[in-house]
Amino acid sequence: MAQSLLIVGINHRTAAVEVRERLAFRDDELVAALSRLKLVAPSVSEAALISTCNRVEIIAVAGDAEAAARELIGFLAAERNVTPDLFADAVYRLEGREAARHLFRVGTSLDSMVIGEPQILGQLKDAYVRAAEAATVGIVLHRAFHRAFSAAKKVRERTLIGHGTVSVSSAAINLAKQIFDSFEKKTVLLMGAGEMAETTARQLVRLGVESLLITNRTFERAVTLARALSGTAVPFDNYRPYLKIADVVIGSLTTNRPLLTREDIEGVLHERKYRPMFLIDLGVPRNFHEGLNELDNVYLYNVDDLAAVTDDTREEREREAQKAETIVEGELESFWRWLSGLELVPAIKDIRANIERLREAELQRHRAWLAALPREQRTHIEALSRGIINKILHQILSELRRNNGVVEGIYAADVARRLLGSEMPGEIKPAPARIADDDDAED
Amino acid sequence: MTIWLLPALICYAVASVLFAVDFSTRVQRLTGYAVSALAAGAVCHALDLIARGVQAGNIPVANFTQALSFLAWVTALAGLILIVRLRLAVIGALVAPSVLIALGASEAMAGGSGTLPSALRSIWLPVHVTLAFAGEALFVLAATVSLVYLFQESRLKAHRPMLSGHGTMPSLEKLDRINYRLLGWGFLLLTLAILSGALWAQHTWGRFWSWEPRESWSLITWVLYAALLESRLTVGWRGRRAATLTIVVFAVLVGSFVGVSLLYPGKHGGSFG
Repeated sequence: MAQSLLIVGINHRTAAVEVRERLAFRDDELVAALSRLKLVAPSVSEAALISTCNRVEIIAVAGDAEAAARELIGFLAAERNVTPDLFADAVYRLEGREAARHLFRVGTSLDSMVIGEPQILGQLKDAYVRAAEAATVGIVLHRAFHRAFSAAKKVRERTLIGHGTVSVSSAAINLAKQIFDSFEKKTVLLMGAGEMAETTARQLVRLGVESLLITNRTFERAVTLARALSGTAVPFDNYRPYLKIADVVIGSLTTNRPLLTREDIEGVLHERKYRPMFLIDLGVPRNFHEGLNELDNVYLYNVDDLAAVTDDTREEREREAQKAETIVEGELESFWRWLSGLELVPAIKDIRANIERLREAELQRHRAWLAALPREQRTHIEALSRGIINKILHQILSELRRNNGVVEGIYAADVARRLLGSEMPGEIKPAPARIADDDDAED
Repeated sequence: MTIWLLPALICYAVASVLFAVDFSTRVQRLTGYAVSALAAGAVCHALDLIARGVQAGNIPVANFTQALSFLAWVTALAGLILIVRLRLAVIGALVAPSVLIALGASEAMAGGSGTLPSALRSIWLPVHVTLAFAGEALFVLAATVSLVYLFQESRLKAHRPMLSGHGTMPSLEKLDRINYRLLGWGFLLLTLAILSGALWAQHTWGRFWSWEPRESWSLITWVLYAALLESRLTVGWRGRRAATLTIVVFAVLVGSFVGVSLLYPGKHGGSFG
């Protein structure tokens, strides 16, 4: 039976998080698991396993897809010590071109929960490296993964799929970057506490703000938070003087009337010579008066405004995803051409040329006594040598052609080329170290 | 008209299109080509100016149209520096077409002699003219940067920021700082241009100042730019207000440059011939 690509797995669309957790593998378990896979899944000739919080998938090359899928599901159940029933409904099986498309879409993050998220490519590279270490990838998966990486790279370069911002806190950070050029000499005032506010403040600290001031109705809480974020606690009844040095103010207090009014900020602005202020209102009800946004050089965003920004990003990513799909199809087409054996032609040419070179070299070696022979005999010897290599080549090439269009053909061509051809130009070799470098360069 | 003019116009046109497409698609795959086209345009333009200068035997600023072409070239050069050194590709979409239009207009209106009366031929000429045009080019760029600032500011105020794109919009702080620096340097050059002009006048006609229209208007723009810089330093008029004023004062400058040149063909404006 013809070998082809096969994917068996579950993801965030088919399985609940509880099921995904039960089937997940740690990175350091992968090599050993894949080595065991070789033993328990005899129908599988190549395999890689990707496990993230959103998916557990085995990408394989197999002849009998039916049998291989059964073996792989059995393998997952045995490895994770669960009954196959646990995920029987969630499991999907993709074959051939569909499997390749899926792999490429995963790599370009089109299959991710949040389209365009950047982690998946690194995770896919890790999966590939582990499989290469376990020696379960062969020529087909090498090529498939490399194509997936190159599709992902093209998508990153040519579309805006990874741009914009998908969470409220990252929206706030991106906006801050649109207002301020650098954060080195900036001061952030965090009023109150709350998960979003803390995340935002933490990210600002990471960007290198000079000082982080934290105030809270309960001074103790301010102190605790200040210690965690290496900031400075300010008593709640005395935060106002600090407004004039605060470039970013994050409000996250529960209050029945706005804490900062137009008059408050107007006075502050004059003192700070109208250097811009970014007010992030994460409080419910609103901490800052809406009218503050009308003041020159003051930019006020509340939770709804920030959420609207993330919605815009989602819409844009949906649009960009269309372009990404087109890029994926292009890469898929070229991969599939290769896999379908259309690229056997260069292998055949290469083998023919190499054997012809050997023949010529041999004749050359014996040119001294050949030259002594009459012309007619020389011609016969030439013809004889050509006849022998043609017979040998015919047998090899017809075997290759018989398998043309199936993975066996590719394996056979690979073997034949290694035995009889010159070194394959641009041959893909497993190079875990180099892959890891690529990863760093891209992130 | 020299053989370099057409290539210069074509390069500027190509740069304009590339910068505009690059900005609207936001993936920034064309920035490098756009910058190269603008640079190529500036080189051809420089060769055109040199050829004219050699023909006339003096720096090619003998009449309004030549002066416009010279100013366009200095602007292209300063714009390139800004785009490359400060990674401000976004202004390319404004600078390239402005330069293209200025050069095109200068050629369309071309006329008059390119030769200066011998009274004006002096070492003071290139000094005075280069200072004046370098200063004005910086004011052109300051106004351009201010336009970008106002655009960016209005998006942020309206809660419709442009967050995506490989080269996202420059921050307000950066634009404001660049605007301030351009104004500062432009003002310095304008001051030196006026001083060198006065010294030259003293040297040639025996008087520093003769209240001819160009002189008066230079003084008016000098005062306006001084006030603009002063307002930032003392009352803190920065950001949107500074950007708006930069554009207003620049409009006055353009008005006086064009108006004086066309209405009062004296020592400065119009044709000297």
